[in-house]
Amino acid sequence: RLSTVDLEEDIDPVRSRPKEIPHNEKLLSLKYESLDYDNSENQLFLEEERRMSHMGFRCLEISRWVICGLIGVFTGLIACFIDIVVEKLAGVKYSVVKKNIEMFTEVGGLSISLLLWVVLNSAFVMVGAIIVTCFEPIAAGSGIPQIKCYLNGVKVPRVVRLKTLVVKVCGVICSVAGGLAVGKEGPMIHSGAVVAAGVSQGRSTSLKKDFKIFEYFRRDTEKRDFVSAGAAAGVSAAFGAPVGGVLFSLEEGASFWNQMLTWRIFFASMISTFTLNLVLSVYHNKTTELSSPGLINFGTFDLECVQYSLYEIPLFICMGAIGGLLGALFNLLNYWLTIFRIRYVHRPCLQVMEAMMVAAVTASVSFAMIYLSNDCKPLKMDNSEEYPLQVAQWLSERWSGNSAARQFVYSWVRVGQGGASPSLVFGVVSAFQLFCADGEYNAMATTFFNTPERSVRSLFHNPRGTYNLLTLGFFTLTYFFLACWTYGLMVSAGVFIPSLLIGAAWGRLFGVLLPNKTFIKPIWADPGKYALMGAAAQLGGIVRMTLSLTVILVEATGNVTYGFPIMLVLMTAKIVGDYFIEGLYDIHIKLQSVPFLHWEAPATSHWLTAREVMSSPVTCFNQLEKVGTIMDFLSNTATNHNGFPVIVQATFGMTCLFLLCGLILRSQLIVLLKHKVFVERAHSRLHQRKLQLKDFRDAYPRFPPIQSIHVSQDERECMMDLSEFMNPTPYTVPQETSLPRVFKLFRALGLRHLVVVDDVNKVVGLVTRKDLARYHMGKHGLEELHLAQM
Amino acid sequence: MGVFVNYACLFRLLLWANALTFITAVNIASDATELSGDRALNRPSSFISVPHAFQPDSFRQFLTLGLSDAFPEDMEGTENCLELLSIFGQRYVTLANCLVSYARPVKVCQNCYTDYNNFENIYKNISSDQSGPGNVSCQDSLLWSDRLMLLPSLYSGLRDIWESAACTNCLTAYQMNLSNETLNFLAKLNQSLICFDKYQQGNHSELCKKCKTAYKQLDELYSKMEGNKTLCIDIEDAMNMTRQLWSKNCSSPRKEMVPVIAVSSFMLFLPIIFYLSNYLHSEQKKRKLIHPKRAKSSHSLMNIQDKFS
Repeated sequence: RLSTVDLEEDIDPVRSRPKEIPHNEKLLSLKYESLDYDNSENQLFLEEERRMSHMGFRCLEISRWVICGLIGVFTGLIACFIDIVVEKLAGVKYSVVKKNIEMFTEVGGLSISLLLWVVLNSAFVMVGAIIVTCFEPIAAGSGIPQIKCYLNGVKVPRVVRLKTLVVKVCGVICSVAGGLAVGKEGPMIHSGAVVAAGVSQGRSTSLKKDFKIFEYFRRDTEKRDFVSAGAAAGVSAAFGAPVGGVLFSLEEGASFWNQMLTWRIFFASMISTFTLNLVLSVYHNKTTELSSPGLINFGTFDLECVQYSLYEIPLFICMGAIGGLLGALFNLLNYWLTIFRIRYVHRPCLQVMEAMMVAAVTASVSFAMIYLSNDCKPLKMDNSEEYPLQVAQWLSERWSGNSAARQFVYSWVRVGQGGASPSLVFGVVSAFQLFCADGEYNAMATTFFNTPERSVRSLFHNPRGTYNLLTLGFFTLTYFFLACWTYGLMVSAGVFIPSLLIGAAWGRLFGVLLPNKTFIKPIWADPGKYALMGAAAQLGGIVRMTLSLTVILVEATGNVTYGFPIMLVLMTAKIVGDYFIEGLYDIHIKLQSVPFLHWEAPATSHWLTAREVMSSPVTCFNQLEKVGTIMDFLSNTATNHNGFPVIVQATFGMTCLFLLCGLILRSQLIVLLKHKVFVERAHSRLHQRKLQLKDFRDAYPRFPPIQSIHVSQDERECMMDLSEFMNPTPYTVPQETSLPRVFKLFRALGLRHLVVVDDVNKVVGLVTRKDLARYHMGKHGLEELHLAQM
Repeated sequence: MGVFVNYACLFRLLLWANALTFITAVNIASDATELSGDRALNRPSSFISVPHAFQPDSFRQFLTLGLSDAFPEDMEGTENCLELLSIFGQRYVTLANCLVSYARPVKVCQNCYTDYNNFENIYKNISSDQSGPGNVSCQDSLLWSDRLMLLPSLYSGLRDIWESAACTNCLTAYQMNLSNETLNFLAKLNQSLICFDKYQQGNHSELCKKCKTAYKQLDELYSKMEGNKTLCIDIEDAMNMTRQLWSKNCSSPRKEMVPVIAVSSFMLFLPIIFYLSNYLHSEQKKRKLIHPKRAKSSHSLMNIQDKFS
């Protein structure tokens, strides 16, 4: 009864033995599967559509909007929670350490304060690393690669679960409070995606709670759209950049876009940033001033200083090139490190130890740098007073000749308004006296002894002369290596802020060096501007995002004037960086062996046809199939197929052929077996409820494994009629179709299975995502990746 | 009276000339209108001109004459306002004088608060809505009647200085007196400075030892006031100077270089051991390769082609 395409099976003995090789980037893992983006238009679906009224469709549309609103609200709330808790914890930690240092500066024994700092940091990071390694390893890292994969159509196991969200949020808090060189922005994108996936389903499988709402959206197609909205909301909450968020989703996952979806995603982004803004303003007792739209606030640049002149554009391009080079170096180092980690540091206890060690080293390096730094600057103004806004404006007007002073005051006012408590923020300018004389502050401490967001802000906005060359140089160098070392640890943390910080430091260095070397008018060489460009260049060189990153930076600085230079810088950084190595996220996707489909099929692959690409022979089922056969095939652990072509017998004169008539998925078969939809039973029990699409949705997304389904010996002899449940019109291609053509179908339609047929519609093979993803352009032309069990 | 009529005529001429210049700006300029416009504009400028020497009496006389000439019916109200104007001028001068003389080192708040209060009072008087005798409010005639609005901008200039100096923090309510805390601080400051002076000539280490208590007390008090937000520019500046003086003499050297560096380098040494031991002892993770089912393309292709041919 079972039909396979009969091709001779001579498996040579060498190939049958599983070969073991060390992990490398040229592998595809079997644990990743595709999402079913393509809708199965079976009879159940058509029936349901017939039953649904016009009003029903309107309600669906409305509920999509409601869901997007909810996604925005919850994402914003999570961002608030992270922000507030980090602020509190870091504040407590820094004040304890600072007090301790001050105490020991008097009496001696500073190494004790150093140890205190080390222990505090390691303790925070230990908690973060333990929850990640023990409960949800997928929550490690920034989560952007995973979300990128999900939006690409790969089902990454457990990536959008509630547990992942909880671990992610707690992990981020721990790692940021633990003083690692990390940011909390990347994880926000992941969190937003999880929120979206959860809210849109109207239930939580983990908590076993079903609200009986939004049941229509329980399929991959709808869920993936909502996840892209959630990612956008996450970006928007992280940077206060709603348009940037939408463009991020567009850039990373855009195969399936239409105007309404874009508009809804934009709605979710806006709601998210508004929620964050509102809640933070209430938290800071400034309910009416909605002035903190994102987790990171770059601060607005003073209008007088935003101008850039034509002669600066070559300088910016030059900075872009530097950013590209440094980014490539960063990626290369991180690539080696990650391979080493995958190969050797794979036991949970080792991973926790490694994270703690990084935290300890970060703390001690920072301490040593601060201690050895001689960069003491006199206090310019006392921080204790919270001057009203008008005074500062007045001051800056009076000092209009002195741009530094002017900018100083502006940045200060802005920061003071910006939500965070003024004493803490302004602390970057004055509070850290540490080892300096009374009445002076330590410039090195302002960059190290602080949360990274604040350091970025002070690099952007502090006036010329705040940092000296040596401070900036050492800071760039150490932070570069620390950040590179940190990314890829088993803690949840992002790479955005460290990149920005490295870039801001060397950009500022660049800006400070300029007037010494050339005779440029000093007003041009406002170092804050160069810090911004450097930050953009470094970030662009590491992550290689283009459009969305430009818009995010423009929105985060609230400054459209810089749009053009930022674009130039990012373009240059990407071009230069791509010459050497891929972007960081792509590297990590590759190292996780994900079958990721890029925008285009690899060049020079037109000579490959579907016949070479496809898997063959294919396991097919008859339209009327015996239960026992199905059970046997599904429980066979060696084959992990998910889609099965359904064939029907047709007679043409004397010859009898098995022709394709549909496609059925493993998940559908499992539901059918679970409900025991057998032909014999239907005859015997007429009153039995007819299976509906709802039953498939209820089982989604965690279909029970085949092992949990018990079929008695009698039942094995029963028959199943698949015609009602299969997708009657699967996409097919002839054998001669070229690889790029197949690729385009996959990428544009979000296919999971593509049946290859011959000219009489007989099944010859099946193309899946892994068959396509294994071809890639290597150094020596087209290369093929290996499939591996992990 | 003849003089008045004369001036009134002149005033009308001015208005007319303005209208004319407006027209010339819009229409084609003709020589005749330009000439008359120029003449008319020149004369009022000499008529409004402000005396350079700041001599209240002559100034007042001049203005009285001028204004009352223009508006003969408002004579009494104007008289009152001009009185206020001259007082404003005097107090402005006094306050500015005081501010400048105490600019460096900053002792503005301690010494100028009475002047400032006076200055503020007179401005309040002017800007209050009370109409004097003759039913005319000086607010309109003195403050807002021209484009320059000199008085408000003079006032806001000094007020902003006062506010940014945060002098109110050092004064009692209504700025009547220096607050107790400020006085206390000043006393302490004095104590420290005297001590510094005393040991200035001798050995620095002696200064550091002897004056330490006084300095520490001062520092503590300052920190406390910083917390209370009762600092004004005088105190901030005085403290800054004192701190610099102290640090110049008694900055402590970094004496713990060795332990700090030792601990840090120990920390830096840890990862090397960690990674090395992992590399040597941890088993390398291997991946099992899987060979997917593929069509033996050449065979089947041949078969199919054979069939069809």
